[in-house]
Parts: sequence; structure tokens; C-alpha cells
Amino acid sequence: MASGSSNQSGIASRVRKFIDQSWLFVAFFIAFFLFWEYSVVLFDIPRYILTPPSDVVRNGWADMPRLLNYTYITGLETLLGYVIAVVIALPLGLAIAFSTFLRRTIYPFFVCIEMTPKIAFAPLFISWLGFGLLPKVIIVFLVCFFPIVLNAILAFNSLSEELTRFCRSTGAGPWLTFLKVRLPAAMPQCFVGFKYAAINATVGAAIAEFIGSDQGLGFYIQITTGNMRPDLAFAGIFFLTLLGLGLFGLVTLVERFAIPWHISVRREAIS
Amino acid sequence: MTSLISIKSVTKVFGRGNSEVHAFGPVDLNVETGQFMSLLGPSGCGKSTLMLMIAGLLDVTAGEISLNGKVVTSPQTEIGIMFQENTLVPWRTVRGNIELQLELRGLSVTSHEERIANLLSSVHLKDFAERLPHELSGGMQQRAAFCQAMVHDPKIMLLDEPLGKLDAMTRESIRTDLQQLWMQRRPTVAFVTHSIEEAVQLSTQVAVITPRPGRINCIIPIDLPFPRDLDVKNSPKFTRHVRKIQELFRGFGVI
Repeated sequence: MASGSSNQSGIASRVRKFIDQSWLFVAFFIAFFLFWEYSVVLFDIPRYILTPPSDVVRNGWADMPRLLNYTYITGLETLLGYVIAVVIALPLGLAIAFSTFLRRTIYPFFVCIEMTPKIAFAPLFISWLGFGLLPKVIIVFLVCFFPIVLNAILAFNSLSEELTRFCRSTGAGPWLTFLKVRLPAAMPQCFVGFKYAAINATVGAAIAEFIGSDQGLGFYIQITTGNMRPDLAFAGIFFLTLLGLGLFGLVTLVERFAIPWHISVRREAIS
Repeated sequence: MTSLISIKSVTKVFGRGNSEVHAFGPVDLNVETGQFMSLLGPSGCGKSTLMLMIAGLLDVTAGEISLNGKVVTSPQTEIGIMFQENTLVPWRTVRGNIELQLELRGLSVTSHEERIANLLSSVHLKDFAERLPHELSGGMQQRAAFCQAMVHDPKIMLLDEPLGKLDAMTRESIRTDLQQLWMQRRPTVAFVTHSIEEAVQLSTQVAVITPRPGRINCIIPIDLPFPRDLDVKNSPKFTRHVRKIQELFRGFGVI
């Protein structure tokens, strides 16, 4: 950071730095879409296989009310499943980390389930619970739950030997030690779980909708693909991506406020 | 009269049966009030193990350790400890880290403000009080860690290679600071190191420990004046002490 420079020139230099660093990326992005746009014409690809991005935008725009409504539905499933997963998995991970009994009973069970693709349960939940919101929320929950719980267990178990000894030598009780040292020390590893889960949450929602649904972006993508409308399918994919980015961005933002001192946050601030 | 730190035929064995490792002892050692005792030995001789046992963080296999006449059976709180890896937490500033020691002990932070300011200026960190550990060099971090370990004014300090990870030049300057800090209040110190010069420079007594299983070969009183500045370090007496200890370790086949 340049010291001594005024605030305004600081902002100007940051903007310049941002442009310096990102123009290549923007150029690549534009090149990619231009290639896509004209390759459809150039290689004479039928429109029902691949449509140029301009068609995606035009036809997607025309179908905007439905897309927005479905984005809302899928977003609700994703957010509900994710939040419930965080609320349950974090305390549970904490409990497992500090209880020998739970570590010997539930923990191996969780590790086994983590190896199973959670998506494989999706058809079962649909058949048990029908086409509504609940089975989707449960599948998102399942996809998010395990990375959060396993990272939380790791987080609360990995205080350095030195810090553990230091805390014991102060005579502080377990509660005070937890609040002042263990909890803040565990936050970075917890956020690894939160972010991993955030990336996978929309995957869970989309696949659950593929399997059995009459609304939502997953349903939309499946239906439009079936109707030979790849342009609309791409529009659906675009909104699904926005949802994923939104959730991930939100978690990253929370991380920045929660652990500004941590190296993962500092690196992002530098690059 | 009982010694402040009293170690009676203490042994430590790790594991059992075939995998049993005799790590340390039997050792007898007394450290009197106000002494700076270095435990000097090659790596793996069990110096750190002894340190943890004195702190009550590790059980003795046989024998008995007592601090100020009381037998150690659980983690001791009337001490200040420091390790090679410092115990600064990354989310607190230098000052915040020093205050952590007080907060964990339930001591008032406001009534220690002056103490903190004094410690910080003794180690030349006055202007860095509000910085986070990652903004400091390794040497400055260790200086901050000294303040953290001493802020509650412990009568006994257990220092386990606190300078072990620093480069030679930084070590040199921190030794001087450490000596200053020690001379201010003269706590009783047990200091683990494998640097002969460091032991001779800082200590009132040096306990020479043999390779594993660690035993105390001899205790050498270092009768040099404090503060031990460059002049003292260049004196023939200083060099004689260093040479003598070198001979001992050569006898063990360590150097």
C-alpha cells in the first residue's frame, strides 16, 4: 500500500491496478463468447444442438418472468438447505470434537456417509416426500452438511500443542479457553467447510430438481433441453451460476468480516 | 531450606513393552530462587520433556518434582512458559496477545497497563503494540511472546528454546533483551537451549545434559558479572567456560 498518498489517488491507483490485472481476463472472456457466437455459423451447427449466446440473451430475456420465478424457487431451496446445514452441522461438529463418545460412534458413521455420493439418495427422497420443496431442501442439506461437520471437527481438534499448553498453564477454565482461544482459532478451518458447501449447494438443488420437480431452474433446464431449446437451457444455467456465485460471494464476504486476520483473506486482499 | 524448583530422581519413559523409550533421567536438580538455570544438551536428550514435567503438563514416570515445596501433580499456573513456537494468536494485536495472558487468568487488564507499557518498551516494541503478529518479523514476534509470558510477573519462568527458530544475528540481540528483562525482576528461570554460548551468556548456572537418556552430567556455575555485554563475552573467562563445556560434549561424542 502506498503510504503518504491522498485517499483519492489511492482509489485511482487501485482502479488502475484492477484494470492492469483484469484486462487479460476480460479479453479472454470476450474472445470466448465471440468464438462461441461465430462458430455456430462457421461450423454450421444446428440451432437445436447449440445456439449462439446472442440467442440465449434474446430468448432468455423474453422468458424472464419464468426464469426469475424459478431462480427464486431454486434459490430458496439452496439457501434453506444451506442455512439448516450450517445451523446443525457446526454445533454437532463441535460436540463431536469434544466428546470421546460421539467421536467413536457418530464420527466413523459420518466418514462412511461422506464417501457415499449424497446425490444418490435424491430419488429416494423424492419418492418418500414427493415433488415439493422439502425433498430438495433435504438434498441440499445433505450435500452441505458433511463438509461443514467434518471441517468443524477438524477445526476444533487442531489447536496447536503450544497454545493448548499455554492455555492450561494459565489455569483458565474450558469455557473461557474456548471463547478466547479455541473458537477464534477454529474459524478459518470452519470457513473451508462453509465455502466448500456453498459451492456444492446449487449442484444439490439442480440435481434434485432434475429427478423430480415441476418448477425451479433444474426443472427448467431439463424441460427446455427436452424441447430442443438449448438457448433457454443456457439461460437457466446462467441463472444457476448466478445463484452459486451469489451464495459463495456471501460466504466469502462473511469470512472477510469474521476473520480479517487470516491468511486466506489477506491473500485475496493482496491479489 | 527447600529450593524453588526441586527435582528428585525424576525419570520419564514413553510407551510400553517393546516400544518403550527411556527418554530422561533419573535426574536430581535444584534451582534456587533468582537463579537462571540453563538446561544445555543435544537435541533429543529430553530437555523439553523435563520442562513440560516441571510445568505439570506431562506426568513423571518416577520421582518427584516440587515447586516452592509443593509437589507438582497438575498443570502449574504460577509460572510463565514459552516455547520454540510462540503462543501469539493471529487475531490479536501484540498488546491484545499480552492481555490474553491476563484475561485467561482473570486478572485486570487496566491495572496492568503500566506493566505492559514497560515490557513493550524494554523489548523495543512500543510502536508495534497495535500490530498483528503477521506484520512483525520472527524476532519481533518472539519479543512480543516474552512480554506475553512475563506480564503476570511469574516467579518461575520455563523457557523452552524460545530463540530456537531465529537467525544468528536476531538471536544475539534478543539475548540482550531477555537478559535485561530477567535482571529487572530476577524471576527463577529454567531455560532450555542447545547453544553453548547462549547458555553461558544468560545463565547463573548451566546444567550439562547427556545424550538420551538425558542425565545431568554436571552443573557449572557461571561467575561472570551482569549484564553480559560484548566485553564480558570477549573476556578470557567467558571463553574458558565455553571451551570447558565444548570439551564435555566432545566427550559425549556429540560434537
